[in-house]
Amino acid sequence: MNSVQRRPAMAFKSFLSDHQRLLLGTVSVIGVIFLWELAFTYVIPLDPFFFTKPSLIAAAFREQLVSGSLWHDLAISSEAFFLGFGLAVIVGIPIGIFMGWRRRAEYTLDPFFTALYASPLVALAPLLIVVFGVGLTGKVALIFLLAVFPFIFNVFAGVKCTDRLLVNVVRSFGGTEKQIYFKVILPSILPYIVAGARIAIGRAIVGILVTEFYAASEGIGFAISRFGDTYRLPDMFAAIMVLMIMAVMLTEGLRKLETFLAPWKAGQEAR
Amino acid sequence: MLPCIEARHLTLTFKPKNRDRVTALQGFDLQVSKGEFLSLVGPSGCGKSTFLNVLLGLLKPDSGELNLNGKQIDGPGPERAMVFQEFGLLPWRTVLANVELGLELKGVAPSIRRDRALELIKLVGLENFQSHYPHELSGGMKQRVGLARALATEPEVLLMDEPFAALDAQTRDLMQAELLQVWERTKKTVLFVTHSIEEAAYLSDRVVIMTARPGRMKNILNIDLPRPRDYEMRLTPEFNDIKAKIWNTLKDELGAKAAGNGI
Amino acid sequence: MNGITNFYREREQAILGGGFILLLILIWQAVPALISLPRGLALFFTTPVEVVKSFYQLVVKNQIQSHVYVSAVEFVVGLGMAILVGLPLGLVMGRSKIIDAMLDPFVTAFNATPRLVFLPLLILWLGIGIWSKITIVFVGALFPLLINTYEGVKNVDRVLVNVVRSFGASEWQTMKVVVLPNSVPYVVVGLRLAIGRALLGVVVGEFFASSRGLGFMIAGAATNYKVDVVFVGVTIFMGLSLALTHLVKRLESRLSRWRPDEVKTF
Repeated sequence: MNSVQRRPAMAFKSFLSDHQRLLLGTVSVIGVIFLWELAFTYVIPLDPFFFTKPSLIAAAFREQLVSGSLWHDLAISSEAFFLGFGLAVIVGIPIGIFMGWRRRAEYTLDPFFTALYASPLVALAPLLIVVFGVGLTGKVALIFLLAVFPFIFNVFAGVKCTDRLLVNVVRSFGGTEKQIYFKVILPSILPYIVAGARIAIGRAIVGILVTEFYAASEGIGFAISRFGDTYRLPDMFAAIMVLMIMAVMLTEGLRKLETFLAPWKAGQEAR
Repeated sequence: MLPCIEARHLTLTFKPKNRDRVTALQGFDLQVSKGEFLSLVGPSGCGKSTFLNVLLGLLKPDSGELNLNGKQIDGPGPERAMVFQEFGLLPWRTVLANVELGLELKGVAPSIRRDRALELIKLVGLENFQSHYPHELSGGMKQRVGLARALATEPEVLLMDEPFAALDAQTRDLMQAELLQVWERTKKTVLFVTHSIEEAAYLSDRVVIMTARPGRMKNILNIDLPRPRDYEMRLTPEFNDIKAKIWNTLKDELGAKAAGNGI
Repeated sequence: MNGITNFYREREQAILGGGFILLLILIWQAVPALISLPRGLALFFTTPVEVVKSFYQLVVKNQIQSHVYVSAVEFVVGLGMAILVGLPLGLVMGRSKIIDAMLDPFVTAFNATPRLVFLPLLILWLGIGIWSKITIVFVGALFPLLINTYEGVKNVDRVLVNVVRSFGASEWQTMKVVVLPNSVPYVVVGLRLAIGRALLGVVVGEFFASSRGLGFMIAGAATNYKVDVVFVGVTIFMGLSLALTHLVKRLESRLSRWRPDEVKTF
């Protein structure tokens, strides 16, 4: 194989064009932060009850980190998140498989679940809080309700999409139901499970935020709400950004996992 | 006589993502006469489709000259039209609307372009399908729409990039015969890219054999078979001789390509 | 006997699905008659019949109409704004690699984050008037529209673009003839998703930042243990959501007559 000796300048230039998208994105973000800081430091007077700027946000963030309040809030919220999410996984996946595998189950359950999925179930939040109180149970109940449906429907779609040919191949080699299940169905639906998880994350976070905004004394949602009430804008922005970063990391991480598990599926339409 | 198309020392390179730069055409020379049916054959990746795209005006060469009727080619133009291997029909348009596409883009009046399109739809034998959508048509029918569309703008030069490769063998034979009929009636200059030696020999006046990448013209053969040609000609010994000649020139290039790829 | 079997077979889907829902409603209605509820739970329990009665009362006493009107305005204005901003922006991002690369980090970040997190900030800025709700609806509905338009524009078949360019089409003509028709199905899917998000925005916005609207009605009723009124509100939202989604799905299939394949999205 002929390899061409590249001079450093040429290598740099091709690096630039190869990673154009990443570089433009980074430049854009840095640029916005920069302009934001400059604008409110030198051009527009900063009304602290209305807005804030990156340097103040960074300081507030460090403060929250050091004082441990950030970790505490995140821990409280995460507990409910994982419990509710975990429950959704455990309940949602089997239901989805059941619906996908048995036509009768699909006919019976699909309309009901579709109606629920399409409705803003968050509307039940005040009711759940009134019934279960302000503690963990109410949160988990709402998060479960919100997160279970993406799993049900995505797994359902995944099972229905399982290539019948593969099932027949395994059958033709004398495979049992159990073997079909583990060797064909489960691997096939893995990317769908991950897609469901990706959608469910956003909905679960909504559940956390709604319950914590409404009636809580701890947690990151409550923190954001409290900072707002006390006009502590830098803290509020910092907390919001922490949540944003976590949401992005989780969502994009799952997206990468999805691609890894199913490289043949190009971009899905719904995000 | 001034050649209709003249390529001189055409060179074109491109850089695929994450790989080294590739030379598709290297010092490619060719002269095509008006009204001629010329085929290009060569190993995969030898640049024949690339050349067609340069002729069409969608790609710019790095160096060299490409002239049409003495004038440099500088982008797409009404004198050239292409029939694509993947058909390229707009799926949301009916057959009629698809055939009208070129005329529509040139701003021809609706009634005029409709009449012209209907003429051509008749020419390719699809009168009963003008309101159908592409997904309702077979491969052969789709390609006939592609042909009608290309002819609608009355180009001088018809470029055909492996147009029958996606069709099954029987449809392919039918389409070849139909293409020849249409060509006899419309007298266009045709440049035809194909992998099939038989197809090239059957259809063309001349066959250009290209080298493996980077592509150059290796040889040109005159096909001295009488016209109009029919299927029985393919079964004659003369035809086999022609095929053998093409194959002999081509096989060295296939071997060279294989060696180059480390097969 | 045969007639009944045939009838069932033809409508099996509807019978099983509808039957199940009906069964659940009946069970729900029957619960207080079947088991005696502990005192605490009895306070929170309501039945379908009571919900219907409440609805009737609210309509007759003209207590619900103004709420519905407020929520409707927030929904329509917010969604309308999202369409007006999201579609052109998605188009531009889809066609221009540079703008796409520069906006992508922001779109990704804001899309992954539940817009709800900005609600306290919006309340700070816009108070609890109608504009804070409209903004939440707008921000929620924007992203499905933006992203789906973007995907529709980006996923246009290369061959078709080449075909049109080979006839000498300008960028504008290419858009009109190939890119836009190709993206219509994607945009409609985006619309379907956006409607769901918009409704969500109305509900949540009105929980926290309102003195009017259906969400406010629900929250207030919950606090006052008027569970039947809560369910009136929830059912109205559910019904709206289903009706609108159904309409959009009908639109989708009408516009997709030329598509041979089935596109399933959630």
